Amino acid sequence: MSKSKNKLSTCYTSLECNSCKILKKRKFIDEDFVFSFSENCSDCDGKMMVTKIFGVIMD
Amino acid sequence: MDFNLDEFLAWVGEDIDTLMMLIWILPVIIFVFYGQRIQLLISSNEIKKDIGKLEDYTASTKKDFLNYVKNNLTSKTDPSKKLDSFFDYFTIMPVDMDPNGIISKINHLVRSREDFIRLQINGMFSDLSSVELSKLQNLLEIVTTLQLFYKHTRHLYLTAKKQKNFPLILPLQMMIPFIMEEAVALKDAMPAIKKGQPIGDSIGPMIVGQMMLNTTKELAAFETVWSKTTFEDRDLFLLKAEGPNATVGRPGDGFEKIISNKKPDLVIMIDASLKLEGEDSASIAKGFGAAIGGIGTERFKIEEIATKNQIPILALVVKQSIHEAITLMTQEIADKANTVREELYQMIRENTASGQTILVIGVGNTIGVSQ
Repeated sequence: MSKSKNKLSTCYTSLECNSCKILKKRKFIDEDFVFSFSENCSDCDGKMMVTKIFGVIMD
Repeated sequence: MDFNLDEFLAWVGEDIDTLMMLIWILPVIIFVFYGQRIQLLISSNEIKKDIGKLEDYTASTKKDFLNYVKNNLTSKTDPSKKLDSFFDYFTIMPVDMDPNGIISKINHLVRSREDFIRLQINGMFSDLSSVELSKLQNLLEIVTTLQLFYKHTRHLYLTAKKQKNFPLILPLQMMIPFIMEEAVALKDAMPAIKKGQPIGDSIGPMIVGQMMLNTTKELAAFETVWSKTTFEDRDLFLLKAEGPNATVGRPGDGFEKIISNKKPDLVIMIDASLKLEGEDSASIAKGFGAAIGGIGTERFKIEEIATKNQIPILALVVKQSIHEAITLMTQEIADKANTVREELYQMIRENTASGQTILVIGVGNTIGVSQ
């Protein structure tokens, strides 16, 4: 979390299953990097690939 | 003689013009003799506050950096003292009285400095991965730059104060908002770099990295990879820094290697670009020329190779502020990746024919973005 001008930014990771293409968003964890396969899909046997890592600013 | 208020008021009532003249003349006299000093006092108070902030930023990032090293890395000896000496390292730029050949001298100097720091850091810690090493180099760069800002601003301020030289403080007064903007951005960049998260500048490598998935990646230059793919009967050569390291790679050297293999018909560079005031963040712009920042040596090399081989260069940029470019990538910018990719394909369709070869370079720091 970074703080600037009273704004807090929370980091999120977007994931997509390489098999069923389901999309998921969760909070960033230290091992995440874009285009890595970090976990298994909860809906099928596929692997979830990180597609985006971004910050959301909350005032 | 006793002062009589009633008499004085009576005199004022009779001769109001004399009092008015006194009221006007006194400030004029004060401003004629002390105007510059008053202005210096007002300006210097504002600058002093900003210098105080710069000092705080330098101290907090330095502390943050040393804590990160202590908590996350294994060192043979206490690294604090050695790292502390790195903060004061300076670079003497080559003589520019005769500018002929200066680019290669700057290139040599900058690379020597990078190689030296890399070697020194690598020797200090055991089992240091390439990602961790690149993160440390970036963090060190942040602290060093903030320290440089602080020392130079303080020097100009103290010199102006010491010599009571108002004109000397004017350029500082003009520059300080820009220095502060960059300093705040640098300070805020620390958390993202420590965690290896993509920054706004990573948008170029993110777009090209996605296109590189399921292709065979080869080393094009130091910390730089390239691969081949196809698009609508055209060959695409893709080039970017090697992720997820916190590096911009060496796209100039990469281009040189690729051209020795096969000459592309068009080069398209995708990069983050500083937005002008009033422009929207994450807006996309297209243009001509090498879209690459930095000290200028990489751009020089790319332009030289392109000119020698008569290859046109097109640019595709995602606009952002300095703060957005070096801190954690915003959702707004991340969401633009697919749109930029579509724009890229449209650019390829419009500017090349079937059977031609296009080199696409994803420019920027590839921290947190692999391929």
